[in-house]
Amino acid sequence: MLYDLIIIGAGPAGLAAAIYAARKKIKTLVLADGAASQTAEAHLVENYLGIPSIPGNELAEKFREHARKMAVEIKDGVDVSKIESADGKFEVISNNGTLSAKSLIIATGKKYRPLEVPGAKEFEGKGITYCATCDAPLFKNKTVAVVGAGDAGQDAAWQLTEYASRIYLLNKYPELRGDDRQIQEKLKTHLKVTILNNCEPMEVKGDKFVKALVLKCNGDGQTKEIAVEGIFVEIGSVPASKFLNGVVKLNEKEEIVIDPKTNATSQNGIFAAGDVTDVPYKQMVIAAGEGAKAALSACEYLKSF
Amino acid sequence: MFICLYVCMIKVYSTPACAYCVTLKKFLTEKGIEFEAIDVSENEAELQQMIDKSGQMGVPVVEIDGQIVVGFNKSKILELLNIKE
Repeated sequence: MLYDLIIIGAGPAGLAAAIYAARKKIKTLVLADGAASQTAEAHLVENYLGIPSIPGNELAEKFREHARKMAVEIKDGVDVSKIESADGKFEVISNNGTLSAKSLIIATGKKYRPLEVPGAKEFEGKGITYCATCDAPLFKNKTVAVVGAGDAGQDAAWQLTEYASRIYLLNKYPELRGDDRQIQEKLKTHLKVTILNNCEPMEVKGDKFVKALVLKCNGDGQTKEIAVEGIFVEIGSVPASKFLNGVVKLNEKEEIVIDPKTNATSQNGIFAAGDVTDVPYKQMVIAAGEGAKAALSACEYLKSF
Repeated sequence: MFICLYVCMIKVYSTPACAYCVTLKKFLTEKGIEFEAIDVSENEAELQQMIDKSGQMGVPVVEIDGQIVVGFNKSKILELLNIKE
């Protein structure tokens, strides 16, 4: 089966692209990996046009519902490992076999940045988690640490106040940064929350599960240990562009370089949209618009066949 | 290898706002598979059971006739349920 267009990614960029492609009657397939999109993991979305406030997973489901209504074919649980180009078409190699298309849209978004200290890998899922929205309720009456005190870390700490008995918020800077002053004030005065400024994680310790986090504070070379049962990691994200491995041009942040007018990549026939690209603002509403642009450009490209 | 052939006991351990859990439950429903949904944020005994059985603390966890699958591992779930796509 040769598709006109394969869209990799099923967040706002990928699904907006799919809807535009469906309206143009292009034979399209959307590939979604087993993981949730960034939209689906967002706690509350309050800046998407037309929807004043909605949990991220509900908004993600609305996107899907819309795509399903347009009879878009979506394959779930597909992890793409490689893309090859041959004879003017592209082969998408995945755990689901090889799929072929005349054109591609890459809309894989970003993935969380993993914590890289001794013990972090070993204890993933055993107290270390990357999804506060999913796992905060599992730490009822427990002591936990949030590593990273940017907007996402602050939000995780705030969600945890509902469940955990004590929350350490590890901040590598001298004071809290970020846009949401209100949440910062609430965290500073919350009885359950201890903000550890100028502190960085050094090691995760435990037996079957996490028991402690080793920290270094104020750059003084001394380490100290805090007893925690849960560690929530919020240290930013990286573009999900690894599988592209030289097929399209990436910038130094590993974002796909696109033509801002057409969403074309360095490879003719491959387009990209949303957070995986070098678009300066990583926002859902922008990703959706970028997806639409990429689909329209792909349509133009397909006319040349 | 274990394969669930006839009537299976299926439990899904999840939390309310976990997107993977929603996807997983929707997937099972779409396949016409009945399951018991357990919200571990509301039930500490079940939460402890989930941790003991799966040896880890993340959701979702699916139990299919005593076999444990961590996360939305679609191919593993299909294999245990003996469903071909």
